Amino acid sequence: MSLKAPPSPAETGGGRGGRAPRPVSRRSGLARLGPLPWIAPVILLILFVVVWPVVELVRTSFLNISISGKNRGSAGTDKYKKLFEETDLGAVLIWTVIWTVVVVALTMLISLALAQLFNQKFPGRTITRWALIAPWAASVLMTAIGFKWMLNQTAGVLNTLMMDLGFIDGPQDWLGKSSTAWPWMMAVAIFVSLPFTTYTLLAGLQTIPGEVYEASRIDGAGTWQTYRHITLPMLRPAFLIGVVINLINVFNSFPIIWAMTQGGPGYDTSTSMVFMYKLKETDIGESAAMSVVNFALVVVLVLIFLKVSRWNEED
Amino acid sequence: MRNRVIATGAATLVMALGLSACGGDGDGGGGDDAKGGKTIKVVAADYGTSAADASKPFWDKVAKDFEAANKGYKVEVQVINWTDIDKTVKTMIASGNVPDILQTGGYADKVADDLLYKVDDVMSPKTSANLSKGFAEAGKVKGTAYGMPWVASTRTFFYNKKAFATAGITKVPTTWAEVADAAKKLKEKKAAEIPYALPLGPEETQGETLMWEMGNGGGYKDDAGKYTINSPQNVETFKWLQDNLVKPGLTYPNPASTDRKTAFADFAAGKVGMMNGHPSVIKMAEEGKVEFGMAKIPGKTAPLESTLGVGDWTMAFQDGKAGKDAVKKFLDFTYTKDNLVKFASMYNFMPVTTDASEAMQADPKNAKLKDFFAALPTAKFYPVNDTSWDVVSAEIKKTGGKAASDDPKTVLDDLQKKAEEAAKAVK
Repeated sequence: MSLKAPPSPAETGGGRGGRAPRPVSRRSGLARLGPLPWIAPVILLILFVVVWPVVELVRTSFLNISISGKNRGSAGTDKYKKLFEETDLGAVLIWTVIWTVVVVALTMLISLALAQLFNQKFPGRTITRWALIAPWAASVLMTAIGFKWMLNQTAGVLNTLMMDLGFIDGPQDWLGKSSTAWPWMMAVAIFVSLPFTTYTLLAGLQTIPGEVYEASRIDGAGTWQTYRHITLPMLRPAFLIGVVINLINVFNSFPIIWAMTQGGPGYDTSTSMVFMYKLKETDIGESAAMSVVNFALVVVLVLIFLKVSRWNEED
Repeated sequence: MRNRVIATGAATLVMALGLSACGGDGDGGGGDDAKGGKTIKVVAADYGTSAADASKPFWDKVAKDFEAANKGYKVEVQVINWTDIDKTVKTMIASGNVPDILQTGGYADKVADDLLYKVDDVMSPKTSANLSKGFAEAGKVKGTAYGMPWVASTRTFFYNKKAFATAGITKVPTTWAEVADAAKKLKEKKAAEIPYALPLGPEETQGETLMWEMGNGGGYKDDAGKYTINSPQNVETFKWLQDNLVKPGLTYPNPASTDRKTAFADFAAGKVGMMNGHPSVIKMAEEGKVEFGMAKIPGKTAPLESTLGVGDWTMAFQDGKAGKDAVKKFLDFTYTKDNLVKFASMYNFMPVTTDASEAMQADPKNAKLKDFFAALPTAKFYPVNDTSWDVVSAEIKKTGGKAASDDPKTVLDDLQKKAEEAAKAVK
């Protein structure tokens, strides 16, 4: 989108007779700003809440800040060196990728099915559509804390339920070790991502004109064929938006992991976001360096995805 | 017409910006005027576990009494819970908005940044002479006192009498082997859900770790003051814990993600057979109607002669807004026998001044704290007066617990590396 200033009235009507030149030039100066005075508050706001923090972040990553919070001057690239020498960084990055890919992939798959379901006409559709909003409307932190307690070893209802159903012999400490904590946290992340994604896809489905389906029916296409060759391709824009927004959201997801395991034991259930937060406890500069890396990662991630999916092909 | 609208809009915007800028200036100006002033800002940690025993009323009362006794002075009290106090103070320091007096867990990191007054500058000789000797020493960095001890606690071994009777254990364990043996019996007889509670989660990993390592002649530093986190004794300690408690299922399945508060709560609920704890367990266990006994912490071959002592600290900031004399007045006023006994009694802690300590021990109400007081003179502390300790302690909290599940050598080697780097950074 380009912001072209509309032709300024001062330019066309400049130099009206009998006026001293100075006020005219001042007026036309203001007018030359076009819509700027109107969008200035927004621009200032963006500068203040988006650009300035990013600048500060990058600046901090080159500073040596002591654990008591005092700025001890420049650290050069020491904090980045320290970050890349962290023993746990490799595992954290690998888990970040697994976490993001698994959660986004499963969310998209389940949402495709759900959207298809909610696109059908059935009694009670309005109510079920409303119900789907619930996980979205509830605070993510609340949902995560809820699951944490349901999974609690001694008091959790999910432990009791699974024992009653005979799935497990005794109560398990699900969130205490990474091998069981990851799947549960992924399940919660998918649970909270479903509503948005399903609604995005549902909106996409509703833009597909009925005539296309009618034509394919007349041509004798089967259900699966219709889905693969008509629904999916026409759903592409909505699907891509869903994937990109989920990628960013899930990669940056913090409250679920923090509420359920605090990224522990050690860094075993930390994504790079949680890792960054935990570094803050010992070294703010190193933590800022991790943030910069995170920022770069998410940009690269989205760019790669857009490239692979040939984002602009249909435009 | 249109031009006027634009001009008005722009002018309004400029005015709005100008006004807010004025607001900012005003605040800054006010603060500068107060430099050397009579308003004392006190930030303290909240030791309470509920509204009933919160620390805020204590500080409010001290502040009110002080204001009444010293006309013209004002005290602003901010009490922050333990989870947030470090972060909040860090932000205060980073933004240059430091308190005058801070009461929290450690002080040495702030000495490294030259933020604190020397104790002699802000405490009269009479008050500082009253500080218990060992603690006064621990408040010194390279021979100069910066930290003023506030309260202390020692750790001891707790066991559930009923569970021991059910399991047929007659002798309270004094060695590691006896602990493992008792734990096995507790499990076989189903006398306790958690035979030995080993909380190595982030809350206080450094405490439980040190209590076990001391039992094997290990610890965080050697006599020369060098970090020895990965010493053979320490590695051996964790090997033993893995083989004898963790793997046989005689403790929590994931010690590294189990916090101390969980262990204490489980003990108070009668689910734990034995554990190491501090004096607050007494009150919790009594409320939970758990019959318990206390003993010296078992070591590898003999019980610990000197147990772990933990002290909390008060410090005064040079860049606070109040004058040095005001700070001195307030500290002298706060460090009285009555105040310290009152605060320590609220949480079953031990006061750290000579007269308060004597007064508290003389009170028959505190008979159950006898063992804790007796252990205090010989107690061993974290290296709190090392300016790198705060970083090291934070690192141990994050990953130290994994030494009980992963390869201990790898985990401790990594921590040792970080500790050495931290020590180098403050030199």
